[in-house]
Amino acid sequence: MTAFFDILIGGVFHAAVLFLVAAGLQLVFGVQKIVNLACGSFYALGAYFGITCVNWAIAGHSPQWLFLPVLIAAGIALGVIGPFIEALLRTIYDRDESFQLLLTFALVLIFQDVLRFFWGANPQQLGNLSMSYGKIEIGALSVPTYNALVIAASVMIATGIGAFLQRTRYGRILRATAENREMSEALGVNVRWVYACVFTLGTVLGTVGGALVVPTAAASLDMPVELVVEAFAVVVIGGLGSMRGALAGALIVGLMRAAAIVFYAELEILAIYLVVIVVLIARPAGLFGKAVE
Amino acid sequence: MRHPVTAPGRTENRHSVLIETIGVTKAYGSFVALDGVSLSIAQNELVSIVGPNGAGKTTLVNVLTGLLKPTAGVVRFKNEDIAGIGPVLLAKRGMARAFQLVHVFPGMTVAETIAVAVVSQMRRSFDFLAAIRSDSGVRARVQEVAAIFRLDGKLDTEARLLSQGEKKLLDIASAFALAPEVILLDEPTSGVSTGDKHGIMRTLVDAARSAGIKAIILVEHDMDLVAEYSSRIVALKGGKVLADLPPDAFFSDPEIAEAVVGKLFGQSKAAH
Amino acid sequence: MISAVDRKMTRYVPLALLALALAALPAVAQPYYITLVLPAFAYGIALLGFNLLFGYAGLLSFGHALFVAIGAYCAAVLSSKLGVRSFEAILIVSGLAAVVVAIPVGMLAVRYVRIFFGILTLAFGMLFHSFLFKFYDLTGGDTGIRVLRPTLLGTAFSDLDKTSFLIGPFYYYCMGLLILLGLTMWRIVQSPFGLHLAAIRENPRKAEYLGVRVRLFRLVAFVISAFYCAIGGAILAINTGQADPELAYWTHSGELVFMTVLGGFANFFGPLVGAFAFIFLKSELMSTTQYWRFFLGVTLALIVILFPRGLMGLAERVRSTWAGRRT
Repeated sequence: MTAFFDILIGGVFHAAVLFLVAAGLQLVFGVQKIVNLACGSFYALGAYFGITCVNWAIAGHSPQWLFLPVLIAAGIALGVIGPFIEALLRTIYDRDESFQLLLTFALVLIFQDVLRFFWGANPQQLGNLSMSYGKIEIGALSVPTYNALVIAASVMIATGIGAFLQRTRYGRILRATAENREMSEALGVNVRWVYACVFTLGTVLGTVGGALVVPTAAASLDMPVELVVEAFAVVVIGGLGSMRGALAGALIVGLMRAAAIVFYAELEILAIYLVVIVVLIARPAGLFGKAVE
Repeated sequence: MRHPVTAPGRTENRHSVLIETIGVTKAYGSFVALDGVSLSIAQNELVSIVGPNGAGKTTLVNVLTGLLKPTAGVVRFKNEDIAGIGPVLLAKRGMARAFQLVHVFPGMTVAETIAVAVVSQMRRSFDFLAAIRSDSGVRARVQEVAAIFRLDGKLDTEARLLSQGEKKLLDIASAFALAPEVILLDEPTSGVSTGDKHGIMRTLVDAARSAGIKAIILVEHDMDLVAEYSSRIVALKGGKVLADLPPDAFFSDPEIAEAVVGKLFGQSKAAH
Repeated sequence: MISAVDRKMTRYVPLALLALALAALPAVAQPYYITLVLPAFAYGIALLGFNLLFGYAGLLSFGHALFVAIGAYCAAVLSSKLGVRSFEAILIVSGLAAVVVAIPVGMLAVRYVRIFFGILTLAFGMLFHSFLFKFYDLTGGDTGIRVLRPTLLGTAFSDLDKTSFLIGPFYYYCMGLLILLGLTMWRIVQSPFGLHLAAIRENPRKAEYLGVRVRLFRLVAFVISAFYCAIGGAILAINTGQADPELAYWTHSGELVFMTVLGGFANFFGPLVGAFAFIFLKSELMSTTQYWRFFLGVTLALIVILFPRGLMGLAERVRSTWAGRRT
């Protein structure tokens, strides 16, 4: 029973982090119709930079328990690159989607060596820092507090984004621009500003996701390209452009992964893709997406 | 509501009927777009479908061209059911459609565009290794069709470089190149200046005759054109057929003139 | 975009000269450079197929490395596990295997267009990668499977060492393959089928109204492109002597697109130019700096932003400015 619970928590934790990245992807796609292949690169950047910041903090004699806020701050700080990258992508907004995919692929290649330049080729990690938060005991079951905090944070962010999009004026502007860019412009919306903000928000979601994962996993140069694979599985299952889809997809992928590790390790990522294919045959638009052809 | 008015003594030679709808109804939930529409189009007819916006013209056209399946009723082309068969099968069975909004292949030349239809009509789509450029049969046919529409001087011009009017002609020309038996023209003169409208209609009707097209369905707002070229006018209102008459009878019926033509005439007169 | 009117007799002369130059290469150049030309041949063939789908049919696949890997693994399994050493047999089996896989994958994938097609093909590519990676007993896991030297038209060339074989008979054989498959692809794009593919790319709805079966044609283009990629994969595998799972990784698919766009997707010869240019660029960069990915990425970004029609597009611009100046 405890084993099952541990796996469940592990899966939900993984889902929580995946959700952040997928939410970033969905937001950017929903508003700007750009699929960002470099989402994994942002994630990895968040991971590496998070480690660096925590190490600085520790060297600066900050108390260990501050590492979670430090990680989140590191992720948010990286948001500064958002506007620059968006400006780069802006040069090809009017072009065919293939070019957008290619430009983000170019970013993947570029970031690969940027990461290598600043942090070297060896994986980096934070040791057992996550354990310093201890565990939460619920009867016979225990959850590492760190994992619980991250899951809670992810849920809060999900609710926050949902509320933001549905209830605030700015959220409405965002959704309007996503539906119809020209009309929004005609109504006086500064679309360029909206795009820059959305992209930065999407970037931050990715970098924070990466920062939050490093206490439990190492940051490596494989991260950028591997994450894309999982993130895309999430958005395909959930439906491109849908926040609810990101949530559902992330949960499915996270839990499936956890289950597969237990039952048949060989099948791990294969299982995820099989689900992708089954979902696509049954519901081509994903669980929450809109029709495609 | 009034019963649909048909001309007394109109011959309906079953053998020459090409398209017919019998009691076609199309409902979207509680909204009824078409209500029991029955009409038939026979050889050598040019039937115009008129009516105000929202009358159901587009829905009827989509049913006639196999894009929409009626909720009730039958739609037949050459005695075969065509409900919802889709554009590809429709083209293969011999009906072509040209749209109000111009559809071209931007990067392809006039010759290539027409060739697409010619090759499709010749059933040679799966010819993998024949060299199309040097195929004299295809080239001759492309030349022929282009000449009808006076596009033969621009065979090697890319479609996106053509004027709006030329693009329209190309769109229609490619539909003609399918050698269809029936062609449906959706507002072919929209966007064309008044002076040119008659010229274009004349070209289209002559082209149809020389291309061996057996019937034309026309959707038009311009009542002058409708009056001049139709052999029969079908007026829709609120999803029902209000009138189905030859032009003389259509325009001389005072009730129709008030209910349908008055409005349209007023509109078209005001617009021009 | 591509005009199906890629005539110009003036191309035949430079082509013939190029073919002669390539044929003479083994005699005059250093073995190092010749060993680069072999992957260029392989990718050239693969990209000829890829561009049928991308440049002509307008579908961007981010998973075609899957078929390259199929070709490579067929070569590996046949030569080292089943003892089949005939290159002809390897080519046929690779091609058939790719076709067999491409039909169901394609049937699912062509239900989508544009970005969705790209993501779905990426997913399939990675599915295959994880299969290759995980099923150690079947596929050799992350090390892959060895590829043994095949016989060419029945001849073993056992008196030649590996390098001599590769830069000698194998080089000419692959060049011959490239020419043969190139001519076939030329005929395909000039045919009625090619014309219809272009129509589907330009305006799928209108193509339907002209009687073109859009999904079916896209599927056929998909399958043909898979075949070509597998042939390329088989050549690659024999060149390196190993088939490994990374051949199927999505970034490898990305490289295929990179090469195509580098050379110019709107031109029949673009992909070939792109294959050669990319291989040489990558090799030069790799020997100069450890941050070669960065420079490759910058190159791709520059092409996408400034030179979307690639090297051939640039050449055409130069040629037309030159022609304009002369008239």
